[in-house]
Amino acid sequence: MGHEMLNAWLYIGLFTLVAAALPAIAIFLAGLLSPRKPNPIKDATYECGVETVGPAWTQLRVQYYLFALAFLIFDVESVLLFPWAVAYQQLPLFAIVEAIIFLAILVGGLFYAWRKGALNWQ
Amino acid sequence: MVASTLPVEYIRALLPEIGLLVLAGLVLGLDLFSSEVSRQRWLGWVVAAGSLGIAGLSLAFAYPVASPRLLWGGALRLDEVGFVFRMLFLAGVGLTALFAMQVKDLAGKGEFFALLLFSALGFSLMASAADMVMLFLAIETASIPLYVLAGFYLRDIRSAEAGLKYVLFGAVASATLLYGLSLLYGMGGTTRLYDLEAALRQAQAPLEMVAVALFLVLVGFGFKVAAVPFHFWAPDVYEGAPTPVTGYLSTASKAAGFAVLLRFLIGVFAEQTAFWTLLIGILATASMLVGNYLALVQSNAKRLLAYSSIAQAGYILIGVAAGTPLGATGAVYYLIAYLVTNLAAFGILTVVEQVLGSSDLKALEGLQQRSAPLALAMLAALLSLGGIPPFAGFIAKLLVFGSAVEAGQIWLAFVGVFNSIIALYYYLVVLRTIYRFTPGVEPISEIKPAWRLALGICVVGIVLIGVWIAPWYSWAGSVARVLWVY
Repeated sequence: MGHEMLNAWLYIGLFTLVAAALPAIAIFLAGLLSPRKPNPIKDATYECGVETVGPAWTQLRVQYYLFALAFLIFDVESVLLFPWAVAYQQLPLFAIVEAIIFLAILVGGLFYAWRKGALNWQ
Repeated sequence: MVASTLPVEYIRALLPEIGLLVLAGLVLGLDLFSSEVSRQRWLGWVVAAGSLGIAGLSLAFAYPVASPRLLWGGALRLDEVGFVFRMLFLAGVGLTALFAMQVKDLAGKGEFFALLLFSALGFSLMASAADMVMLFLAIETASIPLYVLAGFYLRDIRSAEAGLKYVLFGAVASATLLYGLSLLYGMGGTTRLYDLEAALRQAQAPLEMVAVALFLVLVGFGFKVAAVPFHFWAPDVYEGAPTPVTGYLSTASKAAGFAVLLRFLIGVFAEQTAFWTLLIGILATASMLVGNYLALVQSNAKRLLAYSSIAQAGYILIGVAAGTPLGATGAVYYLIAYLVTNLAAFGILTVVEQVLGSSDLKALEGLQQRSAPLALAMLAALLSLGGIPPFAGFIAKLLVFGSAVEAGQIWLAFVGVFNSIIALYYYLVVLRTIYRFTPGVEPISEIKPAWRLALGICVVGIVLIGVWIAPWYSWAGSVARVLWVY
């Protein structure tokens, strides 16, 4: 192993230490300096501003799962289409046809889910 | 454009797969635009006719050329192994689709048939894959639809249990297989099956490491063929899965496992032949003993056939353990015979389960009075499983036991014959249940023509494969010959 490589790893080690130390110091200082005046509202569980009701161990409807799945597919699709759209000017015809086939498969899937009633909320 | 420069050979190598994909798309489309009634009536026929059409097209255009060729960048090999096994899978899919038309909960479901076709697509690729990456992808393509099919009755707890168990076992087996493949890649530096052997020799890979890789790979394939000690999933999955799916699992899936097992052992581990023949011989002995002894005490017909199918995997492994062309011929012949035989047995169980709502052995009581042709078909299937002439199983057993003797593994042939006798006992007990007079049974009515046709084909197949040997033997022989060409 060469010297330069060792140095590079040393950098990473230093950064790891600093990265761990910075938030630790901040939290420690905040705990040291901040005033402490608790009340019941302050101590309540925070959940996006909505008042919490009941225990957290509730069952979700299985239908959320279907929607999440459909969403995920199109989420990933958009990520995959990004580089394609950016490089659109320089692409050969083959790549464009490929992307269109890819889109067609996904649209077909959406159409299937829609016809099968997977998008109806029951 | 790449497409215009593709030689026709490349398309030919993928013809059955393309056909299966188109057919699956067609089925999904029909599923969307037709009523439940017409789906019940037509969908299975479409799948069966489609598979027949694909088989015909492959026979006409995709018959392998004189010498095997690597295509698609070495991912696939166009040879007799792929061809014969693809015919086997297409037959399995077509017959299963016809049998499934008898079951109301399956016949109207487009996704059921589509999943069946997708798994056949995976099997096809497994049989012709010549690259480790392709092989693994093919196994996953075949397995994932099967997990869903095993758990297809969502509201039935036992079916859901079958699906879940199959997924869990399958995932572990896949991971183990992948680990073995990665070791081979690490030592050989290539993913191509047919370069691997030379690469391993050239790299002077340590024998222990090759043995470890062989063990890990065997776990993956042993799971697929349900050989002991990788069989634990089989009885529960076979019992819980919809009965037509069970038939499909026990025949087509097993055949696919054996296709890759043969190709892998003979192509990659040629140097270690003495080692793996012994190992497979031990697996075969264990499979036969465990399968047969546990089958003796079963009270559920599907479980009994599950254990019997584990034992059958043992007989087929005898052919593999011989490590000779005759052994491979016997194994392939056995798989052909086993396909029609086991599909017939599970087809009959489908009807019995539907009419009586149970697959216990008790439900088979008086089957002869309910329907004499059904009882006769079951007789043919069970005697063929037991290896009685003139049925298909006899020739198959003769070939694998003969190959063991030829390869100098007489002990294995003895174990096989001894086990056949045990197996015959429980097959005959089932037959006694069927034929004993039982007072007050109703005749079975409402059998669909599709189901009749499928059972007819299976029974004709059982007799034909047992009597008219030449064509099947020459197919199996061509597979065996080409396995040693690389």
